[in-house]
Amino acid sequence: MVESEVVFRVKRYRPESGGRPTFQEYTIPYRSDMVVLDGLNYIKDHVDPTLTFRWSCRMGICGSCGADVNGQPRLTCGTYIRDVHKGAVTVEPLSNFPILKDLVVDFDDFLNKLASVTPYIVRKDWGDLTKEYVQYPEDVEAYRQQSLCINCMLCYAACPVFGSSPEFVGPAASALALRYNRDTRDQGADARLARLNTKTGIWECTFVGECSVVCPKDVDPAAAIQTLKFLATMRHMRRLLMPGASSR
Amino acid sequence: MTGREYPWKRRPGWWLRNRRYLGFQLREAGGVVCALYGLVLLNMLIQLREGESAYTAFLDLLRTPPVLYLNLVLFALVVWHALTWFMLIGKAQPIQFTRQPLPWKVVFGVNVLLWLGVSGAVVYLIFGGI
Amino acid sequence: MERTSFDIVVVGGGAAGLRAAIAAAESDPDLTIALVSKVYPMRSHTVSAEGGTAAVLRDYDSFELHALDTIKGSDFLADQDAVEFFVARCPEEIIRLEHWGCPWSRDEDGRVSQRAFGGMSVKRTVYAADKVGFHILHTLFQTSMKYDRIHRFDEYFVTSLIVDAGACTGVVALNLRGGSMVAIQGKATILATGGCGRVYEFTTNGFIKTGDGMALAYRAGVPLKDMEMVQFHPTCLPGTGILITEAARGEGGYLINKDGERYMQRYLPGKMELGPRDILSRAMVQEMKEGRAFEGPYGLYLGLDLRHLGAKKINERIPMVRELAEKYMGLDPVHEPIPVRPGQHYIMGGVSTNLKGETTLPGLYAVGETACVSINGANRLGSNSLSECLVFGAACGHAAVEFAKRRSTYPRGAAAREALKREEARVFDGLLRRERGKETVAGIRIEMQQLMERDVGIFRDESALSDACGMLGKLRDRFASVGLADKDRVFNTELTAVLELDFMLDITMTIAHSARNRHESRGAHSRTDFPQRDDANYLKHTLAFQTDGPPRIDYVPVTITKWQPVERKY
Repeated sequence: MVESEVVFRVKRYRPESGGRPTFQEYTIPYRSDMVVLDGLNYIKDHVDPTLTFRWSCRMGICGSCGADVNGQPRLTCGTYIRDVHKGAVTVEPLSNFPILKDLVVDFDDFLNKLASVTPYIVRKDWGDLTKEYVQYPEDVEAYRQQSLCINCMLCYAACPVFGSSPEFVGPAASALALRYNRDTRDQGADARLARLNTKTGIWECTFVGECSVVCPKDVDPAAAIQTLKFLATMRHMRRLLMPGASSR
Repeated sequence: MTGREYPWKRRPGWWLRNRRYLGFQLREAGGVVCALYGLVLLNMLIQLREGESAYTAFLDLLRTPPVLYLNLVLFALVVWHALTWFMLIGKAQPIQFTRQPLPWKVVFGVNVLLWLGVSGAVVYLIFGGI
Repeated sequence: MERTSFDIVVVGGGAAGLRAAIAAAESDPDLTIALVSKVYPMRSHTVSAEGGTAAVLRDYDSFELHALDTIKGSDFLADQDAVEFFVARCPEEIIRLEHWGCPWSRDEDGRVSQRAFGGMSVKRTVYAADKVGFHILHTLFQTSMKYDRIHRFDEYFVTSLIVDAGACTGVVALNLRGGSMVAIQGKATILATGGCGRVYEFTTNGFIKTGDGMALAYRAGVPLKDMEMVQFHPTCLPGTGILITEAARGEGGYLINKDGERYMQRYLPGKMELGPRDILSRAMVQEMKEGRAFEGPYGLYLGLDLRHLGAKKINERIPMVRELAEKYMGLDPVHEPIPVRPGQHYIMGGVSTNLKGETTLPGLYAVGETACVSINGANRLGSNSLSECLVFGAACGHAAVEFAKRRSTYPRGAAAREALKREEARVFDGLLRRERGKETVAGIRIEMQQLMERDVGIFRDESALSDACGMLGKLRDRFASVGLADKDRVFNTELTAVLELDFMLDITMTIAHSARNRHESRGAHSRTDFPQRDDANYLKHTLAFQTDGPPRIDYVPVTITKWQPVERKY
């Protein structure tokens, strides 16, 4: 490990002072195996304790530490400084969200959107608790990818549609809706599709595809949304042509 | 005592931030341009109705170098549009005959081959064949 | 915030807290439940659990056997009535979670799969690839969205309990985003804030694991039980401390020293790599002491060899292990052994409760890693912890509901207002206003972590422990001069770090003093000066009570029902 230094340019914003966000530079010691989060923690512990950011697990599973690093939404715990070191490392809060303080953004709106897609198993009858529902390995595989979403918000930060139309339900919420629709144990696909088949639902999406590029868990929300477009359309056609027929 | 949230505003020129945003804008712009070309083809029908001289004059216009270059550009945009669409189909509408759905690359490949086949047949019909 | 008075207040949004909240919500549509968490619930540390969750689901298994494995694993310090209660309810919790959509891995016939795990005689660990905690947490969180009567207080940091006329009637919390404090009242309060791994320097635990709930109860006069019982997990990545799940060994992985030897054959030939964690961690330290470990930039380590499992099995059963090794160690476990070393992971000790989660303070409950029932005794078996969160989360939720129903009126507003004023003075006038001097939060925190690592680690002795007790007392004194650079009230994470350090300094005292007073070795507590287990004198739980000085240590006997303590041989 080489001893040297690295410059961090961090966007600061103090809610109680108001004004506009501004950059602040810090020069800190650097080891080749440091991730961006290590740098932020070094600054907070040893240089400037007022620097504020979210983090917890440091292993890319809790979803807390999203930020724009050199203009790209990334998890700071999973981004090696050596991979983004272009003279300085620029760290800003995630795009497309209001800023609470420094790198902390307000994403409460996502939780409302998540709740709106009925993100839980819906069933008419639940059976008893002595036996599990049978689900084959290939059935689990059908929704496994969408179930991996850690709610890190990188996809919302990457989505230019969300950036200009904040009412868009967005990639992660849509992927999770599909996760439940594809779960063989669920019977609530109809209600979810009704919610998504709206102007603020999946139809806002113009398939930019950047959400899937930045997703750290390979959820592929872009594909999920286009799939939902097919499914929503087919449901709509079925209802038009065969009113009264029951749907899954 | 509460603080103020700093609101988000999307900056113009956001699509210059990386290659993929640029590719997206090209694809979308390309779609618009291709749609506008439909007006050109519509105009061709109108000229046909106007009479032989008007139609011939229009065809001559289409053969001029600037218009030919324009066609090349439009063709490139259509191909880009089609390829990105084919890349998506396998993921958006999974096709499944066995326990796992077909990988998207297979669906992409099959669609490209079908497209080439149909295009080949059309070219044969127009320039060879009948 | 519209409503601040509830039937049940749950502090902590991990598996135990969410399970308790859902249990309360399902039991009665008229109940109101507050879920107060310093982070959004899906960030809770449950999310990082990897290996699996245990339950008796098949004919080759039995409650007897699960109980025996657990009690033997605990080195006979577990309360056997609680263990019997626990094992009988695990299966229904697993199935209930399955019905709620949890993506358990499946056998070819569509039934839930189970794998082998450390200290378990048969395959009873249910799993979801190797992201069991992630899937359980998200299933519970998303299921909790069914109930409007669960009101969430996201990013509210609880600073104190409200105690009125000898009962707990809620909490005072700092609203991080608003920058103000609020009193949230409840007829019953459940603490589910997890463990305290961040008191150690090298831990698998996330940043938020600072023992908040334990300290809150401790300060309200409730004893902390068995705090000396700290689990060190054998396979953590050097440097970061990131956990490599026991499931890697459950699926057949080997532990090797620098000579390529499966060294566990010299320590535990019967179980090899699937022995209980305390034995494995000690074996690693022994190998390091005797010069058979590898050397690296972060010190000594051993190897976790998965090469013989093959890429297919690794990708199917333990994909995240592969991802973590590639990302954080730069190697592919399909081709190279993973460097591993022991690190703090879990604390068996916690707020003393009975098997309904009740504490000695009426109206106050505790559940999950925060609590010590005790079913884990002196050493926890892997995959029992998540099952514990589910079983006791449900039991505690129901017990709290019954208690709340017996109270016809909501708590007195006056007590809440007094508590709120007191806390505002303590936090805003007291802590926030202090000027920065010589001492900083980070400085004291790092010293505390290093001293715990050195003196209260895997192997302990009187001189190290008495040093620790003394040093911790001094750190507590120095803490009084910590000042803050960040004077804002909104989202002040330096302030929350001070509050957490305050909690941790209390907790570490209980750990060090409890360890010092237990003159035997049992389970994870290893004294080089008292290397034998001493059932005659120490078949009992340690209780630590807060005083103005060092904690007062007392004891309470272990409940034995069917299994008389024998030598713990594998």
